[in-house]
Amino acid sequence: MTPEREERSVQQQQVIEILREYIAREVLDGKDIGLEASTPLLEWGVLNSFEITRLISFMTGRFGVTVPSNKAVGTHFQDLRSLSSLIIDLTQQRPR
Amino acid sequence: MLLRDLVIESARRTPDAIAVCGPDTTLSYAQLDTLAERFGAALAARGVEAGDRVGLWLEKSARGVAMMQACLRLGAAYVPLDPQSAAARVATIIEDCEIAVVVTTSSRTRILAERTPTVSCVCIDDRSLLALGSALGSALGSAPPARSLCRAERAEDDLAYILYTSGSTGRPKGVCISERNAMSFVGWAARALEASASDRLANHAPFHFDLSVLDLYVAFAVGASVSLVPEGMSYMPSNLVDFIRNEKITIWYSVPSALIMMMESGGLLDARELALRAVLFAGEPFPIEFLRRLRCSRPSLRLFNLYGPTETNVCTYFEVHEISEDRARPVPIGKACSGDEVWAVQPDGRRCSTGEQGELMVAGPTVMLGYWGQPPQGARPYATGDIVRLEPDGNYLYVGRTDHMVKIRGHRVELGEIEARLQQHEEVREVAVVPCGAGMRTRLVAVLVSGSGEPIPLLSIKRHCAEGLARYMIVDDVVHVDALPRTGNGKVDRIALAREIDGTASRGVDLS
Repeated sequence: MTPEREERSVQQQQVIEILREYIAREVLDGKDIGLEASTPLLEWGVLNSFEITRLISFMTGRFGVTVPSNKAVGTHFQDLRSLSSLIIDLTQQRPR
Repeated sequence: MLLRDLVIESARRTPDAIAVCGPDTTLSYAQLDTLAERFGAALAARGVEAGDRVGLWLEKSARGVAMMQACLRLGAAYVPLDPQSAAARVATIIEDCEIAVVVTTSSRTRILAERTPTVSCVCIDDRSLLALGSALGSALGSAPPARSLCRAERAEDDLAYILYTSGSTGRPKGVCISERNAMSFVGWAARALEASASDRLANHAPFHFDLSVLDLYVAFAVGASVSLVPEGMSYMPSNLVDFIRNEKITIWYSVPSALIMMMESGGLLDARELALRAVLFAGEPFPIEFLRRLRCSRPSLRLFNLYGPTETNVCTYFEVHEISEDRARPVPIGKACSGDEVWAVQPDGRRCSTGEQGELMVAGPTVMLGYWGQPPQGARPYATGDIVRLEPDGNYLYVGRTDHMVKIRGHRVELGEIEARLQQHEEVREVAVVPCGAGMRTRLVAVLVSGSGEPIPLLSIKRHCAEGLARYMIVDDVVHVDALPRTGNGKVDRIALAREIDGTASRGVDLS
């Protein structure tokens, strides 16, 4: 694994943990239901449209990213892994 | 006039006017007309005939709208399928109404092939179909398309489309809407809104939700344009408000939940340079404090509360003018429209008089043909299951339900359908589903008796729901009990359950 990929992998794990903690606290009323990085969040109804709206707002506040509407689609919200990839990509695109 | 004639007539009058702006493409009336004919020919080549049902399992798109038109021109009925639904639920619907052909994407074709190997699929992203849309050219000076392939004989009572709703018996029900049903409502709505070719309607609701019928067909009836809200934008209130501004939307129709999100997080109340002149809402009561704020901040807006189950399209309406400071209840659902007659009955069948509550009945041209596979509705009035009160001014006020149907962010949910699905879970012995909370924060809680006595993980329950139910019907939480509380006659005591669950579900307490 290249150093860049390794760094991204560590970053991704950190983002996943933050998202997992947010969903457990805000969406699941503090319950740890064993969400994994690949648990289907939309398909299994963990996130609904109302919760996605709140989550996007959380992502903006916590990670400083603005999610463009063409990215607020199912493929980027399907699980914690794809969500974390979206956040990292948006972070890297942010003007420095 | 039939639904399919609306686009044809508008294409004749104003061929270059924009008919539909989608995330995929923008089509003028002439282009929509031509594409509908070409898609119709392609469907006919796949064996679709008058009287068939065609499933549309697609994300919202202008090409999807052209497909609907293609079906109508062939004399076939279209069945919009929730693009977010699991393949198992889609397969149930395909089987139920014996769909001949499903128009979908190539990735979904593969998923569907595993569930319903016999159904024929047409891929909307197939190269040959994409080519049909690539050479539409400018409509200026072009001749209307040849219609010989796609003008099946059609009557007002023919089936136009089927919308599936939640069914209390555990299977979704197909509501069959005829040309007359739809046209009665569309004609009324166009007149009530004073819609014209200069209007731009937004389409926020998905196509399998009956609110979308007004957006599409009122636009087509008057030669206006309709802009389809892309899927992802529904989650982003500020982008929705930008959409209204940038697309110069004049008429917006959605469930109140979407409007409230735009008010709370999208800046709708303070937004400048909006062309919006009318806002329509339906599907659930609009909390009065939010509606009052909308009314006060935008006094020139026309505000309409539309009411009607899928089975009757829109059968009553109330135009909201002023809202008094002391009003605490939601605004009324109003009086009959679309040529319908509505009245309320007491349990003994007697009509309610002023001040009395009873079940709302609907008769008239918008009442569905019937449920697919069941005896026709005929001239019988439709019993809505909604309890209303007749107010002194002749308006009806929504009070509640006679049964266990609830609304989740505007979606109709029969608790019995969820319970029937959960009962099939191998570890569930008994189950009742209870709604908790109110408005946008309504949550569905499954109260379970586990067969083994061990708690069943929430994710296991969610997964089981997801494999057979629409996404908005997946339960949010589970509570385990030793036994469900029962009334004296052995029925599940839902009042006792709701009382207990209201506090415990959100705290995650095990009642065992």
